[in-house]
Amino acid sequence: MKIFEQIQQLDRRWIYLVLALAIILPLIIPFNSRTHTTKPTENLYRMVDSFTPAPGEDPVEKDRAILMVFMHDASTMPELFPMELAMLRHCFERNIKVFTLTFLATAAPIIDYAINTVKEEFPDKTSGVDYVNFGYKVGSLYLPIILGMGEDISEIVDIDAEGRKLSSLPIMTNIKNYNEMNLVVEFSGSSAGAGWITYARSRFGTNVAVGVTAVMAADTYPQLNTGQLIGMLAGLKGAAEYEKLVDVFASKDKEFSKENLRNEAEDTTITNPDIPYKFKQARIGMNAQSVAHILIIVFILIGNIGFFIQKYKQNKEM
Amino acid sequence: MKRTLPLIIVITFGFLFVGYTFIPHQYSQDFYDWYMDWIKALSPFGVILGIMSITMAHTARIQRRVANWPYSLVTLLGLYFTAASGFIWGTQEGTPYMWIFKNIQMPMGATMFALLAFYIASAAYKAFRARSAEATVLLVAAVIVMLGQVPIGITIFGEGITDLTQWILDVPNLASKRGIALGVGLGMVATSLRILLGIERTYLGGGE
Repeated sequence: MKIFEQIQQLDRRWIYLVLALAIILPLIIPFNSRTHTTKPTENLYRMVDSFTPAPGEDPVEKDRAILMVFMHDASTMPELFPMELAMLRHCFERNIKVFTLTFLATAAPIIDYAINTVKEEFPDKTSGVDYVNFGYKVGSLYLPIILGMGEDISEIVDIDAEGRKLSSLPIMTNIKNYNEMNLVVEFSGSSAGAGWITYARSRFGTNVAVGVTAVMAADTYPQLNTGQLIGMLAGLKGAAEYEKLVDVFASKDKEFSKENLRNEAEDTTITNPDIPYKFKQARIGMNAQSVAHILIIVFILIGNIGFFIQKYKQNKEM
Repeated sequence: MKRTLPLIIVITFGFLFVGYTFIPHQYSQDFYDWYMDWIKALSPFGVILGIMSITMAHTARIQRRVANWPYSLVTLLGLYFTAASGFIWGTQEGTPYMWIFKNIQMPMGATMFALLAFYIASAAYKAFRARSAEATVLLVAAVIVMLGQVPIGITIFGEGITDLTQWILDVPNLASKRGIALGVGLGMVATSLRILLGIERTYLGGGE
Protein backbone atom coordinates (compact mmCIF):
# COMPACT_ATOMS: atom_id res chain seq x y z
CA MET A 1 0.00 0.00 0.00
CA LYS A 2 2.81 2.40 0.84
CA ILE A 3 4.25 2.05 -2.62
CA PHE A 4 1.15 3.68 -4.14
CA GLU A 5 1.49 6.60 -1.77
CA GLN A 6 5.11 7.00 -2.82
CA ILE A 7 4.12 6.77 -6.48
CA GLN A 8 1.59 9.57 -5.91
CA GLN A 9 4.44 11.80 -4.76
CA LEU A 10 6.68 10.83 -7.69
CA ASP A 11 8.87 13.67 -8.96
CA ARG A 12 7.57 14.76 -12.37
CA ARG A 13 11.09 14.69 -13.79
CA TRP A 14 10.94 10.88 -13.71
CA ILE A 15 7.76 11.06 -15.80
CA TYR A 16 9.53 13.32 -18.29
CA LEU A 17 12.49 10.94 -18.50
CA VAL A 18 10.34 7.84 -19.06
CA LEU A 19 8.25 9.64 -21.68
CA ALA A 20 11.36 10.93 -23.49
CA LEU A 21 12.69 7.37 -23.71
CA ALA A 22 9.29 6.08 -24.86
CA ILE A 23 9.31 8.59 -27.73
CA ILE A 24 12.98 8.47 -28.70
CA LEU A 25 13.50 4.68 -28.79
CA PRO A 26 10.76 3.86 -31.37
CA LEU A 27 12.12 6.67 -33.57
CA ILE A 28 15.64 5.23 -33.43
CA ILE A 29 14.51 1.61 -33.82
CA PRO A 30 11.60 1.57 -36.32
CA PHE A 31 9.28 -1.44 -36.31
CA ASN A 32 6.39 -2.40 -38.54
CA SER A 33 2.93 -1.50 -37.33
CA ARG A 34 -0.40 -1.62 -39.09
CA THR A 35 -1.85 1.72 -40.19
CA HIS A 36 -5.63 1.64 -40.27
CA THR A 37 -7.01 4.21 -42.72
CA THR A 38 -10.12 6.19 -41.81
CA LYS A 39 -12.90 7.51 -44.04
CA PRO A 40 -11.96 11.24 -43.96
CA THR A 41 -8.44 10.39 -45.17
CA GLU A 42 -9.68 7.95 -47.80
CA ASN A 43 -12.20 10.49 -49.10
CA LEU A 44 -9.50 13.12 -49.49
CA TYR A 45 -7.12 10.67 -51.16
CA ARG A 46 -9.81 9.63 -53.63
CA MET A 47 -10.75 13.23 -54.36
CA VAL A 48 -7.11 14.16 -55.11
CA ASP A 49 -6.79 10.98 -57.18
CA SER A 50 -9.79 12.03 -59.29
CA PHE A 51 -7.69 14.94 -60.64
CA THR A 52 -5.34 12.47 -62.40
CA PRO A 53 -5.12 13.00 -66.19
CA ALA A 54 -6.63 10.20 -68.25
CA PRO A 55 -4.19 7.74 -69.88
CA GLY A 56 -2.67 9.40 -72.94
CA GLU A 57 -3.84 12.87 -71.91
CA ASP A 58 -1.20 15.61 -71.80
CA PRO A 59 -0.94 16.67 -68.10
CA VAL A 60 -0.23 20.28 -69.13
CA GLU A 61 -3.52 20.40 -71.05
CA LYS A 62 -5.48 18.98 -68.12
CA ASP A 63 -8.20 21.37 -66.94
CA ARG A 64 -8.07 20.30 -63.30
CA ALA A 65 -5.76 21.35 -60.47
CA ILE A 66 -5.57 21.38 -56.69
CA LEU A 67 -4.46 24.13 -54.32
CA MET A 68 -2.48 23.39 -51.16
CA VAL A 69 -2.63 26.21 -48.62
CA PHE A 70 0.10 26.18 -45.98
CA MET A 71 -1.16 28.02 -42.89
CA HIS A 72 1.24 27.03 -40.15
CA ASP A 73 4.71 27.81 -38.89
CA ALA A 74 7.61 25.54 -37.98
CA SER A 75 6.20 24.54 -34.58
CA THR A 76 3.54 22.24 -36.05
CA MET A 77 5.74 20.82 -38.79
CA PRO A 78 6.26 17.40 -37.13
CA GLU A 79 2.54 16.72 -37.63
CA LEU A 80 1.71 18.71 -40.75
CA PHE A 81 4.86 18.45 -42.87
CA PRO A 82 4.52 14.67 -43.50
CA MET A 83 0.96 15.33 -44.75
CA GLU A 84 2.20 17.97 -47.15
CA LEU A 85 4.99 15.73 -48.41
CA ALA A 86 2.57 12.82 -48.91
CA MET A 87 0.09 14.97 -50.84
CA LEU A 88 2.76 16.57 -53.03
CA ARG A 89 4.15 13.11 -53.71
CA HIS A 90 0.66 11.91 -54.63
CA CYS A 91 0.27 14.80 -57.09
CA PHE A 92 3.70 14.22 -58.64
CA GLU A 93 3.14 10.45 -58.91
CA ARG A 94 -0.19 11.03 -60.68
CA ASN A 95 0.86 14.06 -62.79
CA ILE A 96 -1.75 16.22 -61.05
CA LYS A 97 -1.34 19.99 -61.41
CA VAL A 98 -0.70 21.43 -57.97
CA PHE A 99 -0.55 25.01 -56.68
CA THR A 100 0.78 26.13 -53.30
CA LEU A 101 -0.03 29.29 -51.39
CA THR A 102 0.30 30.82 -47.94
CA PHE A 103 -0.89 33.91 -46.13
CA LEU A 104 1.68 33.45 -43.35
CA ALA A 105 5.20 34.78 -43.85
CA THR A 106 6.57 32.00 -41.62
CA ALA A 107 5.05 29.33 -43.86
CA ALA A 108 6.73 30.55 -47.06
CA PRO A 109 9.98 28.63 -46.47
CA ILE A 110 7.96 25.52 -45.53
CA ILE A 111 6.47 25.47 -49.04
CA ASP A 112 9.93 25.66 -50.63
CA TYR A 113 11.24 23.02 -48.27
CA ALA A 114 8.32 20.67 -48.99
CA ILE A 115 8.53 21.05 -52.77
CA ASN A 116 12.32 20.62 -52.81
CA THR A 117 12.13 17.56 -50.54
CA VAL A 118 9.60 15.78 -52.77
CA LYS A 119 11.24 16.95 -55.99
CA GLU A 120 14.44 15.06 -55.10
CA GLU A 121 12.55 11.89 -56.08
CA PHE A 122 10.89 13.54 -59.10
CA PRO A 123 13.67 15.48 -60.87
CA ASP A 124 11.63 15.74 -64.08
CA LYS A 125 8.96 17.92 -62.42
CA THR A 126 9.25 21.55 -63.46
CA SER A 127 8.02 24.69 -61.75
CA GLY A 128 5.48 26.48 -63.90
CA VAL A 129 4.68 23.30 -65.83
CA ASP A 130 3.80 20.59 -63.29
CA TYR A 131 3.41 22.78 -60.22
CA VAL A 132 3.58 26.41 -59.25
CA ASN A 133 4.14 28.13 -55.94
CA PHE A 134 1.94 31.24 -55.63
CA GLY A 135 4.11 32.04 -52.60
CA TYR A 136 3.33 34.30 -49.66
CA LYS A 137 0.52 36.81 -49.96
CA VAL A 138 -0.10 39.29 -47.14
CA GLY A 139 -2.89 38.42 -44.74
CA SER A 140 -4.98 41.44 -45.72
CA LEU A 141 -5.35 39.89 -49.19
CA TYR A 142 -6.82 36.70 -47.72
CA LEU A 143 -10.43 37.53 -48.54
CA PRO A 144 -9.79 39.29 -51.87
CA ILE A 145 -7.73 36.32 -53.06
CA ILE A 146 -10.24 33.67 -51.94
CA LEU A 147 -13.06 35.55 -53.68
CA GLY A 148 -10.94 36.68 -56.61
CA MET A 149 -9.85 33.15 -57.47
CA GLY A 150 -13.50 32.44 -58.17
CA GLU A 151 -13.25 34.85 -61.10
CA ASP A 152 -9.71 34.58 -62.44
CA ILE A 153 -6.74 33.04 -60.61
CA SER A 154 -4.10 34.58 -62.90
CA GLU A 155 -5.53 38.04 -62.41
CA ILE A 156 -5.88 38.03 -58.62
CA VAL A 157 -2.66 36.13 -57.78
CA ASP A 158 -0.84 37.90 -60.62
CA ILE A 159 2.73 36.65 -59.99
CA ASP A 160 4.15 33.45 -58.48
CA ALA A 161 6.86 33.15 -55.80
CA GLU A 162 9.54 33.46 -58.48
CA GLY A 163 8.07 36.71 -59.78
CA ARG A 164 6.69 35.26 -63.02
CA LYS A 165 3.36 36.32 -64.49
CA LEU A 166 0.94 33.48 -63.83
CA SER A 167 -0.83 33.99 -67.13
CA SER A 168 2.43 33.22 -68.96
CA LEU A 169 3.00 29.83 -67.27
CA PRO A 170 2.15 26.59 -69.13
CA ILE A 171 0.52 25.12 -66.01
CA MET A 172 -2.22 27.74 -66.24
CA THR A 173 -3.36 26.38 -69.58
CA ASN A 174 -7.07 25.56 -69.21
CA ILE A 175 -7.03 26.69 -65.54
CA LYS A 176 -9.06 29.85 -64.89
CA ASN A 177 -10.92 29.69 -61.59
CA TYR A 178 -12.51 27.30 -59.06
CA ASN A 179 -14.32 25.51 -61.89
CA GLU A 180 -10.95 23.98 -62.75
CA MET A 181 -9.04 24.32 -59.45
CA ASN A 182 -11.84 22.60 -57.65
CA LEU A 183 -10.06 21.35 -54.55
CA VAL A 184 -8.47 23.45 -51.82
CA VAL A 185 -6.61 21.68 -49.01
CA GLU A 186 -5.61 23.90 -46.11
CA PHE A 187 -2.97 22.74 -43.63
CA SER A 188 -3.18 24.50 -40.31
CA GLY A 189 -2.13 24.22 -36.69
CA SER A 190 -5.27 26.03 -35.55
CA SER A 191 -8.80 26.25 -36.95
CA ALA A 192 -8.61 25.36 -40.62
CA GLY A 193 -10.79 25.75 -43.67
CA ALA A 194 -13.24 28.31 -42.25
CA GLY A 195 -12.48 31.04 -44.80
CA TRP A 196 -12.56 28.62 -47.72
CA ILE A 197 -15.84 27.05 -46.57
CA THR A 198 -17.49 30.43 -45.99
CA TYR A 199 -16.42 32.13 -49.21
CA ALA A 200 -15.06 29.61 -51.76
CA ARG A 201 -17.41 26.72 -51.05
CA SER A 202 -20.64 28.59 -50.40
CA ARG A 203 -20.18 30.97 -53.32
CA PHE A 204 -18.36 28.92 -55.95
CA GLY A 205 -18.97 25.31 -54.85
CA THR A 206 -15.26 24.63 -54.31
CA ASN A 207 -14.34 21.36 -52.61
CA VAL A 208 -12.50 22.06 -49.38
CA ALA A 209 -10.44 19.72 -47.21
CA VAL A 210 -8.08 20.27 -44.31
CA GLY A 211 -4.99 18.86 -42.67
CA VAL A 212 -4.88 19.76 -38.99
CA THR A 213 -2.95 18.94 -35.85
CA ALA A 214 -4.50 16.21 -33.69
CA VAL A 215 -5.56 18.65 -30.97
CA MET A 216 -7.59 20.65 -33.49
CA ALA A 217 -9.19 17.66 -35.25
CA ALA A 218 -12.18 17.42 -32.89
CA ASP A 219 -13.17 21.00 -33.83
CA THR A 220 -13.46 20.05 -37.49
CA TYR A 221 -16.01 17.23 -37.20
CA PRO A 222 -19.12 19.46 -37.58
CA GLN A 223 -17.93 20.62 -41.03
CA LEU A 224 -16.87 17.10 -41.94
CA ASN A 225 -20.21 15.66 -40.94
CA THR A 226 -22.20 18.16 -43.02
CA GLY A 227 -20.03 17.61 -46.11
CA GLN A 228 -18.66 21.17 -46.05
CA LEU A 229 -15.28 19.47 -45.80
CA ILE A 230 -14.83 16.58 -48.21
CA GLY A 231 -11.99 15.09 -46.17
CA MET A 232 -9.56 15.64 -43.36
CA LEU A 233 -6.09 14.56 -42.31
CA ALA A 234 -6.06 14.54 -38.52
CA GLY A 235 -2.64 14.91 -36.95
CA LEU A 236 0.24 12.52 -37.43
CA LYS A 237 -2.26 9.67 -37.76
CA GLY A 238 -3.86 11.33 -40.79
CA ALA A 239 -0.41 11.88 -42.29
CA ALA A 240 0.50 8.21 -41.70
CA GLU A 241 -2.74 7.09 -43.36
CA TYR A 242 -2.15 9.29 -46.40
CA GLU A 243 1.47 8.08 -46.66
CA LYS A 244 0.21 4.53 -46.68
CA LEU A 245 -2.42 5.20 -49.36
CA VAL A 246 0.18 6.84 -51.61
CA ASP A 247 2.55 3.91 -51.05
CA VAL A 248 -0.07 1.23 -51.70
CA PHE A 249 -1.80 2.87 -54.68
CA ALA A 250 -0.32 6.02 -56.26
CA SER A 251 3.32 4.88 -56.20
CA LYS A 252 2.30 1.60 -57.85
CA ASP A 253 -0.06 3.22 -60.33
CA LYS A 254 -3.05 1.37 -58.86
CA GLU A 255 -6.61 2.49 -58.30
CA PHE A 256 -7.88 2.82 -54.72
CA SER A 257 -9.52 -0.33 -53.42
CA LYS A 258 -10.46 -1.36 -49.88
CA GLU A 259 -9.52 -4.96 -50.67
CA ASN A 260 -5.92 -4.03 -51.55
CA LEU A 261 -5.67 -2.01 -48.36
CA ARG A 262 -6.54 -5.03 -46.24
CA ASN A 263 -3.90 -7.12 -47.98
CA GLU A 264 -1.20 -4.49 -47.59
CA ALA A 265 1.92 -5.68 -49.41
CA GLU A 266 5.09 -6.31 -47.44
CA ASP A 267 7.10 -3.81 -49.51
CA THR A 268 5.00 -0.86 -48.33
CA THR A 269 5.82 -1.36 -44.68
CA ILE A 270 8.01 0.90 -42.54
CA THR A 271 11.13 -1.27 -42.53
CA ASN A 272 11.29 -1.45 -46.33
CA PRO A 273 14.58 0.36 -47.15
CA ASP A 274 13.37 1.19 -50.67
CA ILE A 275 10.88 3.72 -49.26
CA PRO A 276 12.81 6.92 -48.38
CA TYR A 277 12.54 8.04 -44.76
CA LYS A 278 10.75 11.25 -45.75
CA PHE A 279 7.86 9.23 -47.22
CA LYS A 280 7.35 7.09 -44.11
CA GLN A 281 8.25 9.51 -41.32
CA ALA A 282 4.62 9.84 -40.16
CA ARG A 283 4.29 6.06 -39.82
CA ILE A 284 7.55 5.88 -37.88
CA GLY A 285 6.29 8.75 -35.75
CA MET A 286 3.09 6.84 -35.08
CA ASN A 287 5.15 4.07 -33.47
CA ALA A 288 6.50 6.62 -31.01
CA GLN A 289 2.99 7.97 -30.51
CA SER A 290 1.72 4.43 -29.86
CA VAL A 291 4.20 3.89 -27.06
CA ALA A 292 3.59 7.39 -25.67
CA HIS A 293 -0.20 6.86 -25.61
CA ILE A 294 0.15 3.51 -23.85
CA LEU A 295 2.52 5.10 -21.35
CA ILE A 296 0.11 7.96 -20.63
CA ILE A 297 -2.73 5.43 -20.12
CA VAL A 298 -0.51 3.51 -17.69
CA PHE A 299 0.24 6.80 -15.88
CA ILE A 300 -3.49 7.52 -15.64
CA LEU A 301 -4.19 4.03 -14.29
CA ILE A 302 -1.42 4.15 -11.69
CA GLY A 303 -2.46 7.65 -10.65
CA ASN A 304 -6.09 6.56 -10.21
CA ILE A 305 -5.22 3.36 -8.33
CA GLY A 306 -3.16 5.45 -5.90
CA PHE A 307 -5.99 7.99 -5.65
CA PHE A 308 -8.59 5.34 -4.76
CA ILE A 309 -6.30 3.62 -2.26
CA GLN A 310 -5.69 6.96 -0.53
CA LYS A 311 -9.40 7.71 -0.56
CA TYR A 312 -10.17 4.27 0.91
CA LYS A 313 -7.63 4.81 3.69
CA GLN A 314 -8.98 8.28 4.48
CA ASN A 315 -12.54 6.90 4.71
CA LYS A 316 -11.34 4.12 6.98
CA GLU A 317 -9.57 6.55 9.33
CA MET A 318 -12.73 8.66 9.57
CA MET B 1 -12.41 63.26 -33.67
CA LYS B 2 -9.81 60.52 -32.98
CA ARG B 3 -12.66 58.16 -32.13
CA THR B 4 -15.40 59.52 -34.36
CA LEU B 5 -13.55 59.24 -37.68
CA PRO B 6 -12.56 55.54 -37.26
CA LEU B 7 -16.13 54.86 -36.09
CA ILE B 8 -17.57 56.44 -39.25
CA ILE B 9 -15.14 54.45 -41.45
CA VAL B 10 -16.03 51.15 -39.75
CA ILE B 11 -19.79 51.73 -39.92
CA THR B 12 -19.69 52.95 -43.54
CA PHE B 13 -17.56 50.09 -44.81
CA GLY B 14 -19.45 47.58 -42.68
CA PHE B 15 -22.75 48.52 -44.34
CA LEU B 16 -21.13 48.69 -47.79
CA PHE B 17 -19.92 45.09 -47.39
CA VAL B 18 -23.32 43.99 -46.12
CA GLY B 19 -24.68 45.56 -49.31
CA TYR B 20 -22.07 43.86 -51.47
CA THR B 21 -22.88 40.47 -49.92
CA PHE B 22 -26.66 40.69 -50.16
CA ILE B 23 -27.31 42.93 -53.21
CA PRO B 24 -26.18 41.40 -56.52
CA HIS B 25 -25.98 44.69 -58.45
CA GLN B 26 -23.33 46.21 -60.71
CA TYR B 27 -22.77 49.00 -58.17
CA SER B 28 -21.85 46.54 -55.42
CA GLN B 29 -19.51 44.69 -57.82
CA ASP B 30 -17.87 48.00 -58.80
CA PHE B 31 -17.41 48.83 -55.14
CA TYR B 32 -15.78 45.45 -54.55
CA ASP B 33 -13.37 45.89 -57.53
CA TRP B 34 -12.45 49.34 -56.24
CA TYR B 35 -11.85 47.93 -52.75
CA MET B 36 -9.62 45.18 -54.16
CA ASP B 37 -7.35 47.69 -55.89
CA TRP B 38 -7.07 49.77 -52.74
CA ILE B 39 -6.39 46.87 -50.39
CA LYS B 40 -3.52 45.73 -52.63
CA ALA B 41 -1.98 49.19 -52.41
CA LEU B 42 -2.58 49.56 -48.67
CA SER B 43 -1.17 46.19 -47.56
CA PRO B 44 2.56 47.04 -47.92
CA PHE B 45 2.03 50.12 -45.76
CA GLY B 46 0.55 47.85 -43.09
CA VAL B 47 3.73 45.76 -43.13
CA ILE B 48 5.91 48.89 -42.86
CA LEU B 49 3.80 50.10 -39.95
CA GLY B 50 4.26 46.72 -38.20
CA ILE B 51 8.04 46.78 -38.68
CA MET B 52 8.26 50.37 -37.43
CA SER B 53 6.15 49.53 -34.40
CA ILE B 54 8.19 46.46 -33.36
CA THR B 55 11.47 48.33 -33.96
CA MET B 56 10.43 51.34 -31.88
CA ALA B 57 9.08 49.21 -29.03
CA HIS B 58 12.17 47.03 -28.75
CA THR B 59 14.66 49.86 -29.34
CA ALA B 60 13.09 51.70 -26.41
CA ARG B 61 13.42 48.58 -24.24
CA ILE B 62 17.11 48.26 -25.15
CA GLN B 63 17.85 51.94 -24.58
CA ARG B 64 16.17 51.91 -21.18
CA ARG B 65 17.89 48.61 -20.26
CA VAL B 66 14.63 47.23 -18.87
CA ALA B 67 14.46 43.68 -17.49
CA ASN B 68 15.24 41.02 -20.13
CA TRP B 69 16.33 43.66 -22.66
CA PRO B 70 18.75 41.19 -24.36
CA TYR B 71 15.67 39.34 -25.66
CA SER B 72 14.66 42.52 -27.45
CA LEU B 73 18.10 42.68 -29.02
CA VAL B 74 17.76 39.08 -30.23
CA THR B 75 14.29 39.89 -31.62
CA LEU B 76 15.57 42.87 -33.61
CA LEU B 77 18.70 41.05 -34.81
CA GLY B 78 16.57 38.08 -35.84
CA LEU B 79 14.10 40.32 -37.66
CA TYR B 80 16.62 42.37 -39.59
CA PHE B 81 19.18 39.65 -40.29
CA THR B 82 16.53 37.20 -41.56
CA ALA B 83 14.90 39.89 -43.69
CA ALA B 84 18.25 41.10 -45.05
CA SER B 85 19.40 37.58 -45.90
CA GLY B 86 16.15 37.02 -47.78
CA PHE B 87 16.48 40.28 -49.70
CA ILE B 88 20.18 39.81 -50.56
CA TRP B 89 20.48 36.09 -51.29
CA GLY B 90 16.85 35.09 -51.88
CA THR B 91 14.81 32.49 -50.04
CA GLN B 92 15.47 29.39 -52.12
CA GLU B 93 17.21 26.17 -51.06
CA GLY B 94 20.91 26.69 -50.28
CA THR B 95 20.56 30.33 -49.20
CA PRO B 96 21.33 31.70 -45.68
CA TYR B 97 17.61 32.38 -45.25
CA MET B 98 16.76 28.71 -45.74
CA TRP B 99 19.67 27.74 -43.46
CA ILE B 100 18.24 29.93 -40.69
CA PHE B 101 14.81 28.39 -41.23
CA LYS B 102 16.03 24.77 -41.20
CA ASN B 103 18.59 25.05 -38.41
CA ILE B 104 17.11 27.62 -36.05
CA GLN B 105 13.42 28.28 -36.59
CA MET B 106 12.32 24.74 -37.40
CA PRO B 107 14.00 22.89 -34.48
CA MET B 108 13.15 25.63 -31.97
CA GLY B 109 9.51 25.77 -33.06
CA ALA B 110 9.17 21.99 -32.97
CA THR B 111 10.83 21.85 -29.55
CA MET B 112 8.36 24.32 -28.08
CA PHE B 113 5.39 22.37 -29.44
CA ALA B 114 6.89 19.03 -28.34
CA LEU B 115 6.96 20.20 -24.72
CA LEU B 116 3.18 19.78 -24.79
CA ALA B 117 3.60 15.97 -24.68
CA PHE B 118 5.52 16.21 -21.40
CA TYR B 119 2.96 18.51 -19.81
CA ILE B 120 0.13 16.21 -20.91
CA ALA B 121 1.89 13.14 -19.47
CA SER B 122 2.58 14.90 -16.20
CA ALA B 123 -0.96 16.29 -15.98
CA ALA B 124 -2.44 12.88 -16.81
CA TYR B 125 -0.51 11.33 -13.96
CA LYS B 126 -1.02 14.04 -11.38
CA ALA B 127 -4.51 15.39 -12.12
CA PHE B 128 -6.58 13.07 -14.35
CA ARG B 129 -8.65 11.40 -11.61
CA ALA B 130 -12.04 9.68 -11.63
CA ARG B 131 -13.33 12.00 -8.89
CA SER B 132 -16.93 12.11 -10.13
CA ALA B 133 -19.22 10.39 -12.65
CA GLU B 134 -18.53 13.13 -15.24
CA ALA B 135 -14.78 12.87 -14.73
CA THR B 136 -15.01 9.09 -15.11
CA VAL B 137 -16.87 9.41 -18.43
CA LEU B 138 -14.23 11.86 -19.64
CA LEU B 139 -11.42 9.58 -18.50
CA VAL B 140 -12.87 6.47 -20.16
CA ALA B 141 -13.56 8.37 -23.42
CA ALA B 142 -10.01 9.76 -23.40
CA VAL B 143 -8.49 6.31 -22.93
CA ILE B 144 -10.61 4.83 -25.75
CA VAL B 145 -9.74 7.69 -28.15
CA MET B 146 -6.05 7.46 -27.27
CA LEU B 147 -6.05 3.73 -27.99
CA GLY B 148 -8.11 4.11 -31.17
CA GLN B 149 -5.70 6.69 -32.59
CA VAL B 150 -2.58 4.52 -32.56
CA PRO B 151 -1.64 1.30 -34.39
CA ILE B 152 -0.89 -0.55 -31.15
CA GLY B 153 -4.46 0.01 -29.94
CA ILE B 154 -5.82 -1.65 -33.08
CA THR B 155 -3.32 -4.51 -32.73
CA ILE B 156 -4.47 -5.19 -29.15
CA PHE B 157 -8.23 -4.55 -29.42
CA GLY B 158 -8.90 -5.01 -33.14
CA GLU B 159 -10.63 -2.57 -35.51
CA GLY B 160 -13.58 -2.28 -33.11
CA ILE B 161 -11.61 0.26 -31.06
CA THR B 162 -11.33 2.50 -34.15
CA ASP B 163 -15.09 2.29 -34.73
CA LEU B 164 -15.73 3.16 -31.09
CA THR B 165 -13.30 6.10 -31.31
CA GLN B 166 -14.99 7.29 -34.48
CA TRP B 167 -18.39 7.07 -32.77
CA ILE B 168 -17.15 9.19 -29.85
CA LEU B 169 -15.84 11.80 -32.30
CA ASP B 170 -18.90 11.66 -34.57
CA VAL B 171 -21.66 11.71 -31.95
CA PRO B 172 -20.92 13.13 -28.46
CA ASN B 173 -18.00 15.27 -29.66
CA LEU B 174 -19.93 16.53 -32.68
CA ALA B 175 -23.00 17.38 -30.58
CA SER B 176 -20.97 19.47 -28.15
CA LYS B 177 -18.96 21.14 -30.92
CA ARG B 178 -22.16 22.08 -32.76
CA GLY B 179 -23.57 23.59 -29.59
CA ILE B 180 -20.41 25.65 -29.12
CA ALA B 181 -20.38 26.66 -32.82
CA LEU B 182 -24.00 27.81 -32.65
CA GLY B 183 -23.26 29.86 -29.55
CA VAL B 184 -20.17 31.41 -31.14
CA GLY B 185 -22.09 32.10 -34.38
CA LEU B 186 -24.91 33.87 -32.61
CA GLY B 187 -22.38 35.80 -30.56
CA MET B 188 -20.58 36.88 -33.74
CA VAL B 189 -23.82 38.07 -35.34
CA ALA B 190 -24.72 40.01 -32.20
CA THR B 191 -21.24 41.56 -31.94
CA SER B 192 -21.21 42.43 -35.66
CA LEU B 193 -24.55 44.19 -35.32
CA ARG B 194 -23.34 46.07 -32.26
CA ILE B 195 -20.22 47.22 -34.20
CA LEU B 196 -22.26 48.18 -37.29
CA LEU B 197 -24.67 50.21 -35.20
CA GLY B 198 -21.87 51.88 -33.27
CA ILE B 199 -22.89 50.41 -29.91
CA GLU B 200 -19.73 48.31 -29.51
CA ARG B 201 -16.69 50.63 -29.43
CA THR B 202 -14.11 48.80 -27.33
CA TYR B 203 -12.08 47.91 -30.47
CA LEU B 204 -11.26 51.62 -30.79
CA GLY B 205 -9.10 51.28 -27.67
CA GLY B 206 -8.68 53.63 -24.74
CA GLY B 207 -11.29 54.50 -22.15
CA GLU B 208 -13.90 57.18 -22.02
